[in-house]
Amino acid sequence: MFGRVKEAMADAAETLRQAFAGLRVVEVAAEPFLPKAHGSSPLGTEARVGLDPPVTACREMQRFGGDTEARALEPFQTRLCAEAGWARWGTEAEVIRMTPLAGGEAARVGVPPLPRRAQVLGRLEPVARPGARRLSAQLVQPGARRLDPSLEAGGIEAGLDLMLSLAVPIRAEAIHNLPKGLWMRYSLQLVRGTGENVRNLEVLGLFRIPSKGVADLRHDPGQGRILVRLEASAVRAPRAPFILARRKDDGSLVSCFVEDP
Amino acid sequence: MADPIKLAYFMAVKEGASYLGGLLVTDTSGIPLDFRYTEPITPTRLQSILYGKSLEPHLKEEVIQKTLLKELKTPPDLFILSATELAGGWSGDVKYPVLAVQKSQESPLAKVGDTFRAGPRELLIQLAEGAAPLRVMFAAAVEPAAQEQAVGKLLEAGYHMDLAEPLERVTAALQSLVVKDS
Repeated sequence: MFGRVKEAMADAAETLRQAFAGLRVVEVAAEPFLPKAHGSSPLGTEARVGLDPPVTACREMQRFGGDTEARALEPFQTRLCAEAGWARWGTEAEVIRMTPLAGGEAARVGVPPLPRRAQVLGRLEPVARPGARRLSAQLVQPGARRLDPSLEAGGIEAGLDLMLSLAVPIRAEAIHNLPKGLWMRYSLQLVRGTGENVRNLEVLGLFRIPSKGVADLRHDPGQGRILVRLEASAVRAPRAPFILARRKDDGSLVSCFVEDP
Repeated sequence: MADPIKLAYFMAVKEGASYLGGLLVTDTSGIPLDFRYTEPITPTRLQSILYGKSLEPHLKEEVIQKTLLKELKTPPDLFILSATELAGGWSGDVKYPVLAVQKSQESPLAKVGDTFRAGPRELLIQLAEGAAPLRVMFAAAVEPAAQEQAVGKLLEAGYHMDLAEPLERVTAALQSLVVKDS
């Protein structure tokens, strides 16, 4: 038990010793007080020129060392001591005075624009290398498109007016095929309608034409027919027998419907 | 009293690259009762290539003719084409007897109303005294019985009118439309 305590103490001591081993110990040589055994000399006065500035004697305090001898105290003597530290402090101290900020002269500096394109002078163009291209031999699958080829009719227009503007040929009926009584009635109606003597009339034909809506009528003797131009009202109008005749005396044409439609 | 006979005349013409057709309905005097025509149809180059030789028959029979027939309010008794259209293999599908009429250079038949059968689908009918008979050609789909009925109607109408003439009017009307549009 005591052995361990002792070792611990020894370790602590060694530790302290090593910790403080690096410390520099400055030996200060202290002036030892030397006691003087003989008696002190009497105070004397010494004439000096002028007044000397009072001098304060400074003495450093010395520690008592172990080897301090007890000697007789020497009388205090004034010595002029100068402390260089103060002077050095006063002279070596650097006083930095900050220069106050002041408005200086400002000048606007124009920045020249950068050239847009570097101009290269006297530069030889390198020989162009042929670019290598890769041709794929694989066939690409084509896209299929659908186009409807069907043909459709456009709008349908009604063109009856257009058709009515064209002349319609109407063939004459064969008069000699009519019943005699019917033809006699038609002849009588022709005389009444035209007011002409039946002997002065040459019948050109019996036609069945619309009872109304006939805008124009022309005789085509070569074909034995008439050409009529019709109006829209003729489409729905009933057909009625119509006799066209020529006056023998002057050759003018006369006509009339021989039946009431 | 029987309903009056209505004759439908169909004509399709090609003007430049466009096709247009007209349908004229007349009574037995040749007087127009209705007339419809299509706007010009211009096939694209691709359509012309794809359809080839069938382009014109398809346009006339399937497109123009059917469209015009849909517009008719009352069905006609006879559907009359030009002889060229019928001889070109017309294969339209209509409910009426389809035929073509053409003036002939044949000698007149004995009397008005006489007919002479020149083939299964062709015959001559005498409509006027002393005049050349009219040649009538039926489409393949028209049965003999239907042909006989159609001849009866042609004789009735031909007594008053020139049966071949209305096609000339349709052609003239279509050409006037083309000139007006251009």
